[in-house]
Amino acid sequence: MAANKAFNATRGDKIFDVCNTIIMALVLIVTLYPFLNVLAISLNESSDTVRGGIHLIPRAFTLENYSVIFQYQGLLQGAQISILRTIVGTIFGLISASMLAFTLSRVDFQARKFISTFLALTMYVTAGLVPTFLLIRDLGMINSFWVYVLPGVVSAFNVFIIRSFIDGLPYALQESAKLDGANDFTIYLKVILPLCKPVLATIALFLAVGQWNSWFDTYLYNASSPQWTTLQYELMKVLQQSTQQSGAVNANDMAKQMASISPESIRMAITIVVTVPILVVYPFLQKYFVSGMTLGAVKA
Amino acid sequence: MESTTKQASSRKRDQAASLNSRKTGGFWKLFKQQRYLYLMSVPFVIWAFIFSYVPLWGWLMAFQEYKPARSFFDQKWVGFDQFITLFQDQQFYLALRNTLAMSFLGLIFGFIFPVIFAILLNEVRGMVFKRTVQTVSYLPHFVSWVVVAGIVTKALSTDGGIINELLVSLHIIDQPIQFMAQGQWFWGIVTASDVWKEMGWSTIIYLAAITGIDQEQYEASRVDGAGRFRQMWHITLPGMRTTIIVLLIMSIGHLVSIGFEKQFLLGNNLVTDYSQVLDLYALKYGLEMNRYSYGTAISIFNSVISIILLFTANGIFKKTTKESIM
Amino acid sequence: MPSKLFRYALAPLVVMSLVTATACGGSDPTEQETSDPSTPITISFFGSDASPTWNNMKDDVGQAITKATNVTINAEYDVSGGGTQKIALMTASGEYPDMIFPKGSITKLVEAGALIDLTDLIDKYGPNIKKVYGDDLSRLKYSKEDPSIYVIPTNAGVGQTTFDAGGGFEVQNAVMKELGYPKIKTVKDFENVLKEYKEKHPTINGQPTIPLSLNADDWKIMITVTNPAFNATGAPDDGEFYINPETYEAQLHYKRPEEKEYFRWLNHMYNEGLLDPETFTQKSDQYMSKIASGRVLGLIDQEWDYQQAENSLKTSGMAERTYGHYPVQLDEKTKDRSFQDIGAPVGYGIGITTSAKDPIRIIKFMDWMASDEAQVLNNWGVEGKQYEVKDGKRVVPAAVQERKVNDNTNFTKESGIGMYNFSVRYGDGVKDPGGNYYTTNFPEQIIAGYTDPEKETLKAYGAKTWKDLFPQKDEFPVKAWGAAYNLPAPDDPNYTVNFQKSQDIVRKRIPEAILASPDQFDKIYDQMIAEISTDDMKKMEAEYTQMIKDTVELWGEAPAAK
Repeated sequence: MAANKAFNATRGDKIFDVCNTIIMALVLIVTLYPFLNVLAISLNESSDTVRGGIHLIPRAFTLENYSVIFQYQGLLQGAQISILRTIVGTIFGLISASMLAFTLSRVDFQARKFISTFLALTMYVTAGLVPTFLLIRDLGMINSFWVYVLPGVVSAFNVFIIRSFIDGLPYALQESAKLDGANDFTIYLKVILPLCKPVLATIALFLAVGQWNSWFDTYLYNASSPQWTTLQYELMKVLQQSTQQSGAVNANDMAKQMASISPESIRMAITIVVTVPILVVYPFLQKYFVSGMTLGAVKA
Repeated sequence: MESTTKQASSRKRDQAASLNSRKTGGFWKLFKQQRYLYLMSVPFVIWAFIFSYVPLWGWLMAFQEYKPARSFFDQKWVGFDQFITLFQDQQFYLALRNTLAMSFLGLIFGFIFPVIFAILLNEVRGMVFKRTVQTVSYLPHFVSWVVVAGIVTKALSTDGGIINELLVSLHIIDQPIQFMAQGQWFWGIVTASDVWKEMGWSTIIYLAAITGIDQEQYEASRVDGAGRFRQMWHITLPGMRTTIIVLLIMSIGHLVSIGFEKQFLLGNNLVTDYSQVLDLYALKYGLEMNRYSYGTAISIFNSVISIILLFTANGIFKKTTKESIM
Repeated sequence: MPSKLFRYALAPLVVMSLVTATACGGSDPTEQETSDPSTPITISFFGSDASPTWNNMKDDVGQAITKATNVTINAEYDVSGGGTQKIALMTASGEYPDMIFPKGSITKLVEAGALIDLTDLIDKYGPNIKKVYGDDLSRLKYSKEDPSIYVIPTNAGVGQTTFDAGGGFEVQNAVMKELGYPKIKTVKDFENVLKEYKEKHPTINGQPTIPLSLNADDWKIMITVTNPAFNATGAPDDGEFYINPETYEAQLHYKRPEEKEYFRWLNHMYNEGLLDPETFTQKSDQYMSKIASGRVLGLIDQEWDYQQAENSLKTSGMAERTYGHYPVQLDEKTKDRSFQDIGAPVGYGIGITTSAKDPIRIIKFMDWMASDEAQVLNNWGVEGKQYEVKDGKRVVPAAVQERKVNDNTNFTKESGIGMYNFSVRYGDGVKDPGGNYYTTNFPEQIIAGYTDPEKETLKAYGAKTWKDLFPQKDEFPVKAWGAAYNLPAPDDPNYTVNFQKSQDIVRKRIPEAILASPDQFDKIYDQMIAEISTDDMKKMEAEYTQMIKDTVELWGEAPAAK
């Protein structure tokens, strides 16, 4: 809290701050470990990793695990589509969730109860693989980009999260806009959206990470159209290459390959490759929900 | 000091009042007044109908002995046979017990820890430190369960595992404990691993809720001489209240469907009586055997239980806290 | 609220009828198009195994194939779940690729009527396929009720000779050397060796010695815990069933009294402190890192399962800690049957679907792929590029061999070698009319690949390869049903459900029995036997027995190849 700094700290406050810092440092260490461990193994020679005991620092440094990944064709094409779907999917998802959340936050909205129930149930009913597949096929979305975006446009979870945030905003803001002659859409656009930045940033993060990480839709619907392949799907292929155990056909070749690379090392390197872009974008979203904001400024 | 709760209810009253004042005309008049609200919601409702409700025709499979590649109407109809088979299988009840046990533990600890963490994080003064801790804390979310399960198993190993070494060197135990070999530890291990992996990620929603709290409230309470704990208890926590309850209601609805990845990867043959969960049971005895009908029967069971839980939780919270999702 | 729910549940039902009406348009085989090999054709293909080096036939071998046949394969390889999900969706929608490699899902495709019978096609257009398979062609028939040929096996080479033993019981070469190369024939010998060495060396490289460790992570429990019970008691590995060679009666193999004794021995090993107490909780990588640390004296595993760890031992200068393979038995009455002949291989293969517009053209393509020319192309690559012919012998130039080993991924991607298994082919050890091996693996390579400590151990036992220590295939009759795990399992839910249940029981009880105190062992084991001897289980076994009997009958119709 920026404001807290100006405040003269009491002794109790100081003790609290010390304890809190220690707790936070502990959390920092405990949660940093798995990621650093993954990083260390990804930078370690496979044949050495097998011996175990790699924690935070690579024992036999190499970039080979990464070079194995980047050798594959299709990664670049996949990355482009992944970025595109992340952007388009996030925008679509934000629009739908924020609009629905706004309408459902209005106690006076006639259809509020019905729509809330209708949406809530979508979270708990699952139709199964086959009917969903047939629907997507009948909508002509197989082998197309839109299968990544359209089926997931409406997410009830996101709607309710945003609505809970809107519920916390003073209703008077809407009232005064209304008195100024604004219609409901204008209120949504001019009053609600700007105030919702923290929660929108959060939901954008969820949507983007979901889009970025998904591969199953590529697998089900677009596996035979290389132009719509995604990064995660291509990386799945890379991982498969190193895990394939059923290759009784080529036991000798397999043994040779395994000498140089192991699925564990590849998995670790892939984790890093897909996480780094998220980490790069993250600070831009983080600033909206970590630093406090003062509603007073908006009110005035 | 219950200002926020009071504010929340007075907010609702305001809205209700304005609602009443407008409720002068009939349905159509109000419809016209709210046309923007309809325009902003109905298209998405149709959307959700197409993608979430239309495929539900598949549920009819649960009443058939479905064979692929046969036309839907040529399938053999078997009534409730699939459900009877399901309810007669002892393994199903074992899986149900384990699922509920682990999801209750997950529900309790998966809420308490992120909430506390969010509140404490909010009290951190240095902005750089705060952002660093926050960023790092969600990193494990991106590490797959395969990797996390490997780390956990190694840490709990009797052959040089860090936890056992620590406990032995502190003389808490004399002999290393085979944590992974005993069923009674399993639920705890799953819950703890889950909190470790997902706490930071879950916290993000609460942080967003906290930023929505009016800073003037903190200043006002300080003028009243409130300490840090009182601020956390009377301002921060109530500010997150709606979000917590909304998430809680939604999670209660999901109690029976918790996935199986972590249980599968952390489990082994010695603890199957504690690690088998419904979703894995459905996969093993349904889809993997191409028993679509049986798999569908299980998912209908899941959906029905979920919906009952959802309405119950929603009703209870609505009555007791005035917060609900529907 | 519920009334609302129901009202809105009605709508999907209406939509349902629309969706299903469009969902069940099947397609008929249009076989009558004559197929002119000079017109280019694209054949769509789905493979249930991943093949990430697939390069859309832009590699050397692929281009040579297209040049020779005018065929381009448009392939999709599964990356998850071995084809089951994708094939389920195909059968639900009735849309298939022209050619498919379904693995275990073949039963689903047959049931859906998606595969066409290849019998006549092979007869008319498949001279090379017939040549490779010879009289064993009848083994490709699907079942007694449906004697059609649906797939041409591509997973295993015909006439394959295995040059080395990769299984059995393993002991570190250093252990054998120090103890003066004792004979190890029985589990007691094996136990004594591990025990003696452990007493001499309680630690290795500063860490406690582990006499014996097994890998029970997920399905690996079958490889290192349950399947060895077959081999150590003189029975051939037939998956989960023991098949009586006279009556063809199948039973879950755990019911054999000698296997109970085998598991009792493992229980004894645990209670003696010789079996790693973490056997049933460790993950594969923990198992591997223990082996790679050089302190696990003995294993009961297949080499491919611990290969990585052994490679690590070699690279970190602990070659003496690598393992030898021994045909250890429970007692001296039995012989290890790892090398018993299973006859011509059957199993996973490639079929043509009803969606294919020109099956004749496809079978002609598959037949070409079975020709000598194509097999050499697929195994060796393009002459002058990946191999040379010197004095009538095919030779791989040193530079190519170097890339094969050190840059395998790129090499495979560029050359395409080994990626075009679209038809039946010969296995290792079979020679073409010119006296060259069809494949690039030969016995000399195996011996050249041994480490010095391995060579030393083998010399002490007067053997050239580990295989020499094992009973050879001419000591046993040819198995009339091949290998049971290669046969498609019965598809009836009563079978599949009860089989899965038996697996759940066994995988829970066997570890429990092994880790029990010796006086509890009988109680737990007998309880397991009772649990897998219910009427349902017996029905399942009877169904399997019938399947084996039918197979033997079906295959017996043609004169036996030998």
